[in-house]
Amino acid sequence: MSLDLIYEFIGKAFPFECMQMTFMQQAMLGLLLLAPMSALMGVQVVNFRMAFFADAISHSTFAGVGLGLIFAIDPHFTMPAFGLLVGLGIMACQRRSSLSSDTVIGVFFSAVIAFGLAVVSRDKNAARNIQLFLYGDILTISDTDIKAMIGLFIILIAFQIFGYNRMLYIGLNTTLAKAHRVKVAFYQYMYAALLSLVVIFSVWAVGVFLVTAMLIVPAAAARNLSKNAGNMAWWAVTISVSSAIIGLLISAQDWARTATGATVVLVSFVWFIISSIVGYTHHRK
Amino acid sequence: MKPIEQNLPAVSFDNVSIQIGDSTILDSITATVPKGGSTAIVGPNGAGKTSLLMALLGEMPCTGNITIAENENGEPLRIGYVPQRLPFDRGMPITVIEFMSMGRQRMPFCFGVRKKHREYAKDLLKSVKAEELANRHLGALSGGEMQRVLLALALGENPDLLILDEPAAGVDFLGERLFCELLEKLRKEKGFTQLMVSHDLGTVSHHATHVICLNSKLIAEGTPKQTLTYDTLSAVFGHHMGLVCDHILPHSKLEHDHPCCDEEGKES
Repeated sequence: MSLDLIYEFIGKAFPFECMQMTFMQQAMLGLLLLAPMSALMGVQVVNFRMAFFADAISHSTFAGVGLGLIFAIDPHFTMPAFGLLVGLGIMACQRRSSLSSDTVIGVFFSAVIAFGLAVVSRDKNAARNIQLFLYGDILTISDTDIKAMIGLFIILIAFQIFGYNRMLYIGLNTTLAKAHRVKVAFYQYMYAALLSLVVIFSVWAVGVFLVTAMLIVPAAAARNLSKNAGNMAWWAVTISVSSAIIGLLISAQDWARTATGATVVLVSFVWFIISSIVGYTHHRK
Repeated sequence: MKPIEQNLPAVSFDNVSIQIGDSTILDSITATVPKGGSTAIVGPNGAGKTSLLMALLGEMPCTGNITIAENENGEPLRIGYVPQRLPFDRGMPITVIEFMSMGRQRMPFCFGVRKKHREYAKDLLKSVKAEELANRHLGALSGGEMQRVLLALALGENPDLLILDEPAAGVDFLGERLFCELLEKLRKEKGFTQLMVSHDLGTVSHHATHVICLNSKLIAEGTPKQTLTYDTLSAVFGHHMGLVCDHILPHSKLEHDHPCCDEEGKES
């Protein structure tokens, strides 16, 4: 499957000089796929207070890269595979353990970082690779990455259409949802798996430090602007996509020349400030 | 379709025990919940009342057997559940109509609540005298309003068995009385079996048809008249318990024909 037609369309849709280069068109397509995915998953991350879960997955990147180096496998495969394993592992422990949710995540969080650091400390080349994942670089995204993202996008949107309302039920009270015949385990495992993959793909774009911001800032801003659960998803997607587009364009300007991921997050933070003012004003009325 | 066997209990607890670490939460509970009646589980704090409900809902591991009867379609009785409280983030943007429809509508709320689900939710809210709450923000509801909305949500499941965990906790006396009267009216209209944990012996004596007294062990089981006696209540709550007098207990509360209520309560 060739993506050239889509790149050509992006070049025409954004008639800026910087957007006529293929790597910029690839970056734009990557962000246009990632932004709605992280926004929709972010709505549930914020409502269910799962930011720490997302953090743990993003930090499993080190271990994912480390495993790739040990077994001489492309990190683009080991990272999502390991992230998925950690996400499902945390969910399985949370569901069975009497320990609190943040303790379970904390244990996994520490273990994956320790494993990653242990591997990196053995190999100096690995340390250079790790830096790439700390800061991320959407401008180096490849066609293969984009095709994988398209696959994830289709599955994730199908899951959200099928399960958005049921996830709301589970987020409010799992016992109530289970008593009323919602298949809680199925939704929780599916959500953990998809969130893990979105987090790992986002690490390539914005780096480990900013992944959580990609998830929660648009959703938090959307929450300030929404009166109901339906609107929150639309606001989150609008804020996330607009921040991605504006952030990428600003970062490519000569006067800015900033890291794309950081710029995208800063634009969404501006959205958050505006939404807070609007929310506060509305609340006072 | 199978005929409903009226004499079978809706729920049978057979030698049910719950142990957490060294603590025995429930010790060999054997009791039944008669079909069609209003059963109350009473006992002091820490008696294991909510644990027994959680075991019934499959939320707490236990030993022994819990058997849920079948409905006329040969399926386990459909459960509707009203929790004691709904601990949730009150800033979460969700309206009462969305809350009422989240288990029925598949299409995400991003595309709105469909007319048929909206109408259904409004009818349910009307049945619990809460129709004015339809467009309110869920987090802005008072304790009493939330309990009525939770009851409406459970009724929306068309339950054969409605399980309530201290539904009127945190509601004032008048609110509690109105809630129990409403519940009794709905039970008579819809014919479901009711199983309720309650602290309030006044409510139990007026609205229950069957009582299970617990204090980690089964203390007594039977009609309110048989179980809410001075001796039983002293055993459950201690000797200073003097809230219920025998003469105020209703004598005509039997609305089901389960054999357990035709005989003297089982005292252990």
